Amino acid sequence: MSSQQRTYTLDPVTFEVVKNAFATTVDLMAEQILRTCHSFVIYARDFSSALCDREGNTVMQGSQDIAVHVGTLHFTAKAMLEAFEGDLHPGDVFAVNDPYVGGTHFNDVSILRPIFHEGEIIAIAQCKGHWADVGGSVPGSFDVTAQEHFGEGLRIPPVRIWSQGVYLSDVAGLILSNSRAPEDTEGDLKAQAEATAVCEREILRLVGKYGVETVLTAMDEVQDYVERLTRQRVAELPDGVWHSEDYIDFDPNRDEGLVPIKVKLEIKGDQLHYDLSGSHPAVGTFLNAGFGSAFSGVVAGTKTFFPDVPLNSGFYRAVEVDLGPVGSVVNAPWPIAVTGFCAGPYEKIMNACFEIWSEIMPERAMACAFNLEYLLVGGRDGRSADHPFFMWYDWMVGGWGGRNGKDGSNATAPVFGVGLAVQPLEGQERLSPVITTGHQIVTDSGGPGLHRGGCGVEKGGTLSECERTVMSYCCDRARSITWGINGGLPSIPHGVWLNKDRDDARFLGAVFSNVSVSKGDTFTRPSAGGGGFGDPLERDPASVREDVIDGYVSVERAVKDYGVVVHETDAELGLHEVDTAATKRERDRIRGERLGWLEADAEDVARRYREGELDTLDLVRQYAVIVDWGTGELFPHTTEQFRAMVRRRAASHWAPVGAGVA
Amino acid sequence: MSNYRVAVDVGGTFTDVFVLDEDTADVNVAKVPSTPHDPMEAIMSGVSAANVDLENVTLFSHGTTVATNALITRRFPPVAMVTTRGFRDVLEIRRGTRDDLWDAYNDVAPAIIPRRDRLEVTERIDYEGRVLQELDEAEARKVAGRLRARGVETVAVCFINAYANPANENRMREILEEELPGVSISTSSEILPEIFEYERFSTTVANAVLSPLVGGYVQRLGARLKEGGYHGDLLLLHSGGGVMTEALVQKYAVRLAASGIAAGAIACQRLAALCGYENAIGLDMGGTSTDISLVYGGEMRTTKEWSVEYGHPICFPSIEILTIGAGGGSLAWIDQAGSLRNGPQSAGADPGPASYKRGGDQPTNTDANLVLGRLGGELVGGAMTLDHGLAETAVRDGIGEPLGLDLLDAASSVIQVANANMADAVRLISIRRGYDPRDFALVAFGGAGALHGAALARELSIPTVLVPPNPGITSALGCLLVDVRHDLATMYLRPLAEADADEIETEFAKLEDEARERMREEGVPDEHVTLQRTIAMRYLGQWRSLAVPIAPGASINDAVAAFHDEHEREFTYRRDQAPVEIYQLGLRAIGVTPKPEFTPKELTGRDKPAQPYTTRPAKWDEFTEMVATPIFKRPMLEPGQLIAGPAVIEGFDSTVVVPPNVTAEVDEWGIIRMQILETHS
Repeated sequence: MSSQQRTYTLDPVTFEVVKNAFATTVDLMAEQILRTCHSFVIYARDFSSALCDREGNTVMQGSQDIAVHVGTLHFTAKAMLEAFEGDLHPGDVFAVNDPYVGGTHFNDVSILRPIFHEGEIIAIAQCKGHWADVGGSVPGSFDVTAQEHFGEGLRIPPVRIWSQGVYLSDVAGLILSNSRAPEDTEGDLKAQAEATAVCEREILRLVGKYGVETVLTAMDEVQDYVERLTRQRVAELPDGVWHSEDYIDFDPNRDEGLVPIKVKLEIKGDQLHYDLSGSHPAVGTFLNAGFGSAFSGVVAGTKTFFPDVPLNSGFYRAVEVDLGPVGSVVNAPWPIAVTGFCAGPYEKIMNACFEIWSEIMPERAMACAFNLEYLLVGGRDGRSADHPFFMWYDWMVGGWGGRNGKDGSNATAPVFGVGLAVQPLEGQERLSPVITTGHQIVTDSGGPGLHRGGCGVEKGGTLSECERTVMSYCCDRARSITWGINGGLPSIPHGVWLNKDRDDARFLGAVFSNVSVSKGDTFTRPSAGGGGFGDPLERDPASVREDVIDGYVSVERAVKDYGVVVHETDAELGLHEVDTAATKRERDRIRGERLGWLEADAEDVARRYREGELDTLDLVRQYAVIVDWGTGELFPHTTEQFRAMVRRRAASHWAPVGAGVA
Repeated sequence: MSNYRVAVDVGGTFTDVFVLDEDTADVNVAKVPSTPHDPMEAIMSGVSAANVDLENVTLFSHGTTVATNALITRRFPPVAMVTTRGFRDVLEIRRGTRDDLWDAYNDVAPAIIPRRDRLEVTERIDYEGRVLQELDEAEARKVAGRLRARGVETVAVCFINAYANPANENRMREILEEELPGVSISTSSEILPEIFEYERFSTTVANAVLSPLVGGYVQRLGARLKEGGYHGDLLLLHSGGGVMTEALVQKYAVRLAASGIAAGAIACQRLAALCGYENAIGLDMGGTSTDISLVYGGEMRTTKEWSVEYGHPICFPSIEILTIGAGGGSLAWIDQAGSLRNGPQSAGADPGPASYKRGGDQPTNTDANLVLGRLGGELVGGAMTLDHGLAETAVRDGIGEPLGLDLLDAASSVIQVANANMADAVRLISIRRGYDPRDFALVAFGGAGALHGAALARELSIPTVLVPPNPGITSALGCLLVDVRHDLATMYLRPLAEADADEIETEFAKLEDEARERMREEGVPDEHVTLQRTIAMRYLGQWRSLAVPIAPGASINDAVAAFHDEHEREFTYRRDQAPVEIYQLGLRAIGVTPKPEFTPKELTGRDKPAQPYTTRPAKWDEFTEMVATPIFKRPMLEPGQLIAGPAVIEGFDSTVVVPPNVTAEVDEWGIIRMQILETHS
């Protein structure tokens, strides 16, 4: 305990009290925004609040903030300070959404209010929220095919919206008139500005009580405190170098093949140093990340292994990140399209960090979690006379990775933002001519493992009275499928099906834009489960039986994925029992054959898929072969990469044949 | 023969009985240990400890934690859910969020009904209530057969869009009643006829699991009281702050989910009202946690997002209570980076604070208060003694040494951080909702509330602190003074421009008929029923709504004007030009029960200086050294007597700390009123 000697200048009571008051202040902002926002995306908690110091460094973030904004708020504050140096006044409020100065994507608009005391700027209040639409070629401002920002939406460099308390309706009008929903957008703009006023009021109250010097010192020392805490934890870890890589499905500007994102971590003393160089060049879709969001991915991935350490710029001082050369998929400059960073590089960086940290801290290990996905159906609603514009803008929960000693979490919000709540379908059915056909867990979606990945879900709908309607999808991992670790297997591919099980069925893939749809069409898509942790042949057969009873695992895949033979003994009661002898035989058989499956002729496997002899899960989990799931066409290069990945993450961890136990 | 009103509050540790003699207004209290295996035992022994003959009781009301405990421990009878095909996982998917954003190993509690017991039937209603698919009756009977085979005792029927048309749910109920006689059935359209499937399903499932348990408990207690000679209705305190009778508990068991927690907030409201305060903040501080509640304009704040476990909401209006991990037993500690922290970990009852001599060696708030001399060496009227030396050692070793502070500074630092944490919590429930704490009185109760109340009030600029006569059993009082109350609502989602006044009137009339019907079932005659209409609105495009009262016959425009005002009060801004949308029509039905009158005591102590029974050295932030501080015995104080701080007033179950620049006066109700004086520091 002697190492805990403080070197701060504030007395311990003042420090703790003011620190907690900062935390209350940002939570007050969050509560205000949550209760007054118009954007359903903000309402679903896609927003964040921060108190930044007078240099723009983050002092405190909201305790329930979305992960994806973590590590970006100080960039935005600094960009505002730089743009308006010498021209900041009490009552000014600014807006920024520019991803090329450290923002995330165009929909995420930061509202910033510098806070003054006796004419001097002492802090900045910031509220960043996802507006439902900021223009561009696609409703919701998510154009998958955009290659440059001009098709994506309105770029807002730091601009003044209130000047010394006066609302600049001309400037605001320029922004709002570029949105498909100007009224809602103005509602959000004002709600966010009011939230920053709440922060200003609280900070000035603290200044009144403790004096400005104490408050300014506290803003510095709260950052020092987090830095100290982080460094102490890091210093307790061994020095070393770790590598991981994850993949985006493909780059349409090149031949088929997974797009690697590389993450290297070096721990030296009390410093973390990340290096993302070697990552692929920017891709020809909008699945690229600017420097702010790539940095955020590293911070969020790391923070998952330090859950109790508060987040502010002090944390970032202990986490150095080298993104590698400008122009890569993780360091895309203007004007490369970046809106899809969230479904593209962001979660790949986070999951690569998960794999690295799972080695360093095996007690907190976790396999890959499902990838964020957004489905957007937009058009005219024929149910009312004036045929208003509608947007059915939907995201799902999915499975998280299997853990050390624990199955993955079923049906959970994406790691990108675990506070991101799914929408009630009863609300959606009122607002849009879409009748939901189901919202349910997908059997067999969890990656098999000693500890199974969590299950994903499926949601789809039938279009009713709609006109001039198109569908777009922002996702990934139809080919770079959510992976297991320590011998665990992958889950299931992503992708949208139109009119599944009908003659006109079409597999639309995991990224597409502006596909025309009309009344009577049905669509559905699954979210992946998490990857498995550990060898599935070592899973307790009783656990597999329980999964079968609950329908998380089918009787058929219990045999194929786990080698566990389960019989139903009473359908009314839902009782099942394990056939122990058959299970032993099956497990021995799989142990003997499974390495060979990874060597099987991929073209032949694809043919058997096309002919219906093998199904999707056979290809993914047994043969590690990746095809176009609609046509069955083989992706040879992708398959090579995927097989190498499965060998590294799964097969290399399996006990040698003959050494296992049933 | 006397007439008594009896209120019983069953808590986790103690069962408190509060008896009011209606004729003399005398109060008698009893405190007996709770009997968690069968709460009725403690109730009956408490009643006899209070020397009450049930034949002389005119009204028996009860706040119970039976439902809350069942939800916490998840000890439920065999239960199943029947739902629309394709939607059995709505209950498990929830909204998908996690409480702990960063700890990937800290999961949300699993669904109350596992997947294997969530069965599907073919049926579908659309958003306007049109039947897209009739219930498939053959399937429904098959499902009923499986439920019978599984021996379920209670079923939740949860269909998509059932709030818009209950026909299919009702038919399913009929089939289940035919096939499974005696099984308890809860339908979502009856329990919570509101839009949003997950919240409705979750509430309905909670009702289903609680029905047999809570219904049975209430029935047995009612029978037992009747045997004992009680002739009236057994009244149960519900989460919304009213009472309901045994009969309606059978149908709406989930309304008792927060029964035990609500009592303290109601007591706060009543005590504040007695002293003439319409705005009050309740601070109910016990050993491990503090419950904070808020009364504004005489009304308790309610919320529709109440839950025992994160992610499993119960969406009835429930008194809004913020519980934080700060109590007498909260641990003071220093974190890895050297910052002084307080709670939320607690020494609990075992080992308890270091000074309890049960092996605890980490400093707690109780230990710090003892070191500072604000707490005496004896508790519970001498039944328990505290060890000063152990408290000193814990504070010195745990806080003083590592931070380089002397003993008194260390102890004082511990208390200051604890007070600041509580002040932040009060800010969250007040400022966050647009209330200014300076307009409120602070009602401090629970075992430790009065130790910290005055300091907290100063921190928050609250001018007045009220400490009730028996701070430790205040909650039971809350059960005594309540009305029968029901909250009903119906969805009415429409832009204001399309609202039809006649249609709204018809909807309100329907709600009122239903409310009167429920009241009649509870034996409340029509003339004792008051009905208050509310209308929930929002700016078109917003996601949350705000309810404002609307008088019968009043124009909708009056309500809209009230909505703009309320929005500005709560959220600091208004948009007069923005289109408004109606969300929901609400009705609060109150069946007024006759109330006893408390009789004010004469202020006999007005001109008599209060006499301390001793003095002891105590440390106050205003002085650098310990000062000799007068110590008073509460029972010896007379109404009207005034004490200037610093002083300490010791009662049977609680200690009142009166810091410097604070005065304390015993009022005509026996309540200690502290005034926080302005200082010029």
